[in-house]
Amino acid sequence: MNVMITGAAGGLGRALANECGRRGYNLFLTDINAEGLLSLQRGLERQFGVTVTTKACDLTRAESVDEMLQIIDKHNIKFDMHLNIAGIDFEGGFMERAREKVVGIVALNNAATLRITHAILERRRADRPFTIVFVSSLASMFPMPLKATYAASKRFLLDFATSLRQELKDQNVNVLALCPGGMVTTPEAMQGITAQGIWGSITTNALEVVAYKTLERALAGKGTYVPGLINQVLCFLGRIIPRSWVATVVHWRWKSAQSKWLTNM
Amino acid sequence: MKTIVITGATSGIGLETARLLTLQGFNVLGVGRSKENCVKAEKDILSENPHAKVTFFIGDLMQQREVLHIAREIISYLNENCHGELHALINNAGCVRSWYMTTEEGYEQQFALNHLAGFILTHELLPMIVKAKGRIIMTSSTSHKGIKVHWDDVMLRRGYNPLIAYKQSKLCNVLFAKGLNDRYAATGIRAYAVDPGLVKTDIGNKQTGSLINFIWKLRKYRAVSPAIPAQTFAFLCGRHDAETSPPPPGLYYYLCKEKAYSKQVTSANATRLFALSEQLCGIRYETENVP
Repeated sequence: MNVMITGAAGGLGRALANECGRRGYNLFLTDINAEGLLSLQRGLERQFGVTVTTKACDLTRAESVDEMLQIIDKHNIKFDMHLNIAGIDFEGGFMERAREKVVGIVALNNAATLRITHAILERRRADRPFTIVFVSSLASMFPMPLKATYAASKRFLLDFATSLRQELKDQNVNVLALCPGGMVTTPEAMQGITAQGIWGSITTNALEVVAYKTLERALAGKGTYVPGLINQVLCFLGRIIPRSWVATVVHWRWKSAQSKWLTNM
Repeated sequence: MKTIVITGATSGIGLETARLLTLQGFNVLGVGRSKENCVKAEKDILSENPHAKVTFFIGDLMQQREVLHIAREIISYLNENCHGELHALINNAGCVRSWYMTTEEGYEQQFALNHLAGFILTHELLPMIVKAKGRIIMTSSTSHKGIKVHWDDVMLRRGYNPLIAYKQSKLCNVLFAKGLNDRYAATGIRAYAVDPGLVKTDIGNKQTGSLINFIWKLRKYRAVSPAIPAQTFAFLCGRHDAETSPPPPGLYYYLCKEKAYSKQVTSANATRLFALSEQLCGIRYETENVP
């Protein structure tokens, strides 16, 4: 099994790379952080003895992606699985954030994700099942004032994954949208979760569990994965409560959480 | 002047031990994660004892490349100032986590910092410790008891329990000391693990969630000052002016006395831990041709 992971040097990417390594899969890892990639490659090779190839890449730049594709093609690497983990989040109100940062969210979470997914699908191994994972979010289920761009970019991925899944069904491709709550991937993420108090704690998903179950469900042909019972209930509520009400509640909650968090940073 | 390296020397047990050892006349090299904390700790030590010999090295021991970087810096310091001799290395830096978090290598953080960081640093500094017939001391804990090493899943990815991960890392500290003594006793060096007791430090309040934070705050009420375990470290380091102060004979110490340790601490398990850790760190502990 040959697996491509984007955003591999981050918290969720590393957890999934570990899970793939444990299963003996060969890995092609990319991330914008070249040093982190090399460390991870060493860690995976030492732990599992699997073949790991890495190439640092800025997925939002077409030239950078092309450079990586050239390497893939030179070695004639074909893939069985593609995990789109690279993504970015910025907290705060729309007008309080720099223009380029806001646009940057969509550039990476959406435009770059489409580019690399298209490229890797073209390089799938013939006559074998293929699996794609998109990392959407619990945030995709609701309109989220103060995280508006992020939540909408994740909504895009959820809808796109659902449609693509249908499109490629008869070509032996499965597409899974992962919709986790908060995960403790970095010290900053942990501060964010702590700032949300009890809500943060109960919607937080264990990284190692999410990594394991994501692969299990994606390989079993499932379409969406919302980790955790409480998150599943929240998703359900998000569907039946009018969206404008949800927006009001979310706005009220995030305002206090973010002011606590951002002043602590 | 005898030199001692202490990791995690900017707060808690490490800082108290550094303070005590400088008072006793040792040259102390502290390692800390942030420059800010290192500067503060140095000021703290010098304010009490203006003649203290103390130098800080900055780096995040959670990441292996930073461990190697710090090791190189310490080695060049020792070569320039101490005839390449290191009297003692105190592997004290440690952490508590509430969740499964990984290092750059993808290793579980408590295992990586509490055990692997010391394993690499000791490897790098070993020739200088051997030259001084020095000591290597690990900050372990009584919580190393009542657990086995999860050999088939040492990062505890399946059913991660932060307390189990902590306990396992502390068992590894004792096993590492045991393994060092098994391999290098003939060279005149000696390794120990210290049970500091329940100490008033912030280890459970750094980068942890609300539950562990809360429990740790409660526990601190019946905890002792870090000055208490500092005595045990100083005891194991011996006197700085003695030409040859014979190293204490035991392995596991609490309040300057030998104490019983887990039955899991066997030579076989120590050997197994050495092999696994060597694999995970990409290094090899030579047992032949040691000076």
